[in-house]
Amino acid sequence: MTAPPRRLLLLGLAALAAGALPIARAGAQQVDVGGATSFIQATGQEMVAAINSNAPVAQRRERVAQILRRAVDVQGVGRFILGRWWRQATPQQQQEYLQLFEQVLIHNLAARFGEYQGVRFGLGRTQQRTEEDVLVNTVVERPGSPPFALDWRVAEVDGQPKIVDVIAEGTSLRLTTRSEYSSVISRNNGSVGALLAAMRNQIQQLEARAAG
Amino acid sequence: MSVTRRHLPSPRLLGVLALVLALGACATRPDPSDPEAVADFEQVNDPLEPLNRGMYFVNDGIDTLVLRPAAEAYRIFLPPEVREAIRNVLANLRTPVILVNDVLQGETQRAGVTLGRFVINTTIGIGGIMDRARDFGLLGHTEDFGQTLAVWGMPEGPFLFLPVLGPSNPRDLTGFGVDIAANPLTWISGNEAYDTVMITRQGLTAVDAREGLIEPLDALRQGSLDPYAALRSAYRQRRASEIRNSSPAVSPMAPGTGFGVGAGAPTLRP
Repeated sequence: MTAPPRRLLLLGLAALAAGALPIARAGAQQVDVGGATSFIQATGQEMVAAINSNAPVAQRRERVAQILRRAVDVQGVGRFILGRWWRQATPQQQQEYLQLFEQVLIHNLAARFGEYQGVRFGLGRTQQRTEEDVLVNTVVERPGSPPFALDWRVAEVDGQPKIVDVIAEGTSLRLTTRSEYSSVISRNNGSVGALLAAMRNQIQQLEARAAG
Repeated sequence: MSVTRRHLPSPRLLGVLALVLALGACATRPDPSDPEAVADFEQVNDPLEPLNRGMYFVNDGIDTLVLRPAAEAYRIFLPPEVREAIRNVLANLRTPVILVNDVLQGETQRAGVTLGRFVINTTIGIGGIMDRARDFGLLGHTEDFGQTLAVWGMPEGPFLFLPVLGPSNPRDLTGFGVDIAANPLTWISGNEAYDTVMITRQGLTAVDAREGLIEPLDALRQGSLDPYAALRSAYRQRRASEIRNSSPAVSPMAPGTGFGVGAGAPTLRP
C-alpha cells in the first residue's frame, strides 16, 4: 500500500511542469476543457481495456500502440522535443527523425503501459492551463502499488484533440526527453546526425529485445 | 546519555564534495553570440557538468556492485508484507521531520495531517507498522528542509550529482544536512543497541528506497540515450513539483524527504 511511487518507471512518461515553454505550433487551436476531459476518459478506458485483456503480451502491446498512435500528436511532440535543433536539421534529417521518434515513443509508452496489468484509472480535477492546451489530471491505481498522478496535456491539432504531453508525478515526458536529446546533440558538437544514429541503434536494441 | 555525531553524513563525503568544487571542473560556456545555446546552457543549470558526469559514473559503479544487488536480495529474501511493514515504520519515523518542515513553510493544514498520521500510526498502527491514518483519510506527503528553503526563496544553485546520494543541488544538500541535524534521533546515543538500531534504520532506508527503484532505474539505463541528462531534468522537474505541493491528494506517503529521490536515483535518506 505504501510502496514508493515508481517515479522513474514513469520517467519514460514524464511530462510538463508549470512554466513550460510555450510552443508555437501550426495547427494547434484552443481546445475546450470538457472536450479534452472526455477525450482522455475515452482514450484511457480504451487503453485500460487493452491492457487488462486476456490477449498475449505482444498482442496487448500492439493494441496499446495503435491507440497511442491515434491519440498522441507524435509529430508535434517530436518537433517540440528537438527544439532549436529542428531548424538546424536538414529536411531529410527532420523526416528521418520523426520516423525514428514515432517508433521510439510508441514502443516505450506501449511497453510501459503494457506492464500495468490490473490498472484502474480515474479522472482528477481538470484545469485549463495555457492558451492552447488543457491539463487533464488522472489518478492511476495498480494492485500492490500506491496510486500516482498522471496528467495529460491535450491540445487541438487539426480539429482533433490530441495528447501533447504526459506528466507523471510532476515530471514531463517531453521536457525530459528534450533535455536528453539536446544533451546527445550538444555532446556531439551540435550534430543532429549523431542523435539519429543513437536513435537507430536504440530501435535495433528494442527490436532485438522484443524478438528475444 | 551522550551526544554524538555518529549519524551525520560522513565528513569524508563532504570533503570529497569540497575538493571537487575546488577543482572547478566547469562546463564550457557556449558562444555568447548564440543566444539559443546560451539560453539552453542556463536552462540546464549544470555548470559543473563534466564533474557531475564523473560522479554519475562513480555512482553507477557503486550502484551496480553494491546498491542494486542489496536491493535485489532484500526483495528476494523478504516477503512483500514484511517489506511493506518496514517501509511504513521508516515512513513513520520520518514524520517528525516532515511535521517540522510543514510548520516552517506555514502549511498548517498539512502539518495537521502529518501530526494526525504520526499519532494514529504510532498507536493504532502499532509503532508505524500499519498505515492506519489512510483509513481516516489522512494521506501522507513529503516535505524536507530543501523544500522549505525553496519556499523561503533560496535559489537552488547549480545542479550536483553525488555518489550514493544521487542528483541534488546546494539547496537540497543543505536541507539534507539540516533534516538530519533536526532529527532528535540523530543526537541521542544511549548504548550500543540503540546505535545498532539507528544504523540498521539507515541501511534499511537505503535498501528500501533502492528496492522501489529497481525497475524504473533499469528502464532508464536501458531506454535512455543519455540517462544522466534524463535524470537531471527529471530531478529538477520533480523537485519543482514537490515544492509547489502540486499533487497532494495522490502521493500516498512520504517515501522520502525528497532528497535525491526526485528522479529516483539511488539515495540515502535521513
